[in-house]
Amino acid sequence: MTLLLLISAGVLAGLTGALLGVGGGVILVPTLVLGFKVPLEDAVPASLMCVVASSCGAAASYVERRLSDIRLGLTLELATVMGAIVGGLVAGLLAPAWVALVFGLFTLYVSAQMLLASPRPEQCPETYVPTNYPLGISGSFVAGSLSALLGVGGGPLKVPLMSYGMGVPFKVASATSNLMIGVTGAASVAAYAWRGHVKLDLVAPLVVGVLAGASVGSRLMPRVPTSVLRRLFALVLLVVAAQMLWKGGEGLWPILPK
Amino acid sequence: MTHAASSVVTGAIPINLEDSVRAKTAPPLNRATSEVPVIPGVADTPARARRAEAGEQWISRLLRGGALCSGALFLASLGLEFLPHSETVHVAIDVLRKSAASALLVTPVVRLVVAGTSLGLRGEWKYALYAAGVLGLLAVAVGAGLHA
Repeated sequence: MTLLLLISAGVLAGLTGALLGVGGGVILVPTLVLGFKVPLEDAVPASLMCVVASSCGAAASYVERRLSDIRLGLTLELATVMGAIVGGLVAGLLAPAWVALVFGLFTLYVSAQMLLASPRPEQCPETYVPTNYPLGISGSFVAGSLSALLGVGGGPLKVPLMSYGMGVPFKVASATSNLMIGVTGAASVAAYAWRGHVKLDLVAPLVVGVLAGASVGSRLMPRVPTSVLRRLFALVLLVVAAQMLWKGGEGLWPILPK
Repeated sequence: MTHAASSVVTGAIPINLEDSVRAKTAPPLNRATSEVPVIPGVADTPARARRAEAGEQWISRLLRGGALCSGALFLASLGLEFLPHSETVHVAIDVLRKSAASALLVTPVVRLVVAGTSLGLRGEWKYALYAAGVLGLLAVAVGAGLHA
């Protein structure tokens, strides 16, 4: 029974990850910790493994359909990895609770914008040209740093960054994010694996489910209207914001005046 | 004969039939692309367009192959769990899961190598360097135990 439930959780995470370019960790970590009582230190590497699976499963289809922008992905990936290294180096100097709080408020703002503001007209996915590279590169650097500091994947930040900041069509941004998160996810899992923190008993049913979900999601995504994807993405951002605000509040609570 | 016929003189303008046929039959570049304003003329010949398409097909096949291989190995390991427990079954499950995890983790890294190589072969050295830079930085990050 638990095996089937884990596979189902994987299917849901893979479907969401493939549709929105967020990897699925946003859904999996709370599901594993709260629903399956898995310790957080086991849930995070398992979820990262699922992000890699979701990326491979979905990106194969998106690259074939020429929906992923490989060049843009490589450019932003370089900035992300640089940011992740810098974030890892300065992690000891910053208070993660404050970073989580600021990121939570920012994510809340972005999700409110996506839900409430009327969407701007998009460039055509076949002929678009990304604009504002300095913003995209610096934003990816920040996304990488946050990934190292808070353990959040880059997808929730990179998709709005590409879509709103660089004028990339939402579906292309999502597909490109899907391509990018696999590499950084694999590097993160490798770091955990070296310390023996990856529980393959837990990973096996999740990855099987994620691959199935990502396969369905990557077929669905080109057919789903962009407005629906945007709203779904905004809802996922709300979940991320709640997680970050909770994390920030939990860290700050002991020092708050009584 | 075919070689001789490939160049036909029509009045004063020589037309290379082979090239015109290639240009007509080459697949349209209707893909999400960002290189047009950055490197003008890089993918504007049929040969380059074919190489571009071939590179993407390789990346797509690689990702799908890695995902399928890993998924099949994980699924087989789950199937073995239903067999009566013995040392052999336990070892087989362990080997299958480790192989599946390795296949999954290696796939995006190899994808990066293939993307960098195919872009380099097309003359887009900037992106090939980016791919090499990402690989180098990831190696540093993993070596230092940082989470990229």
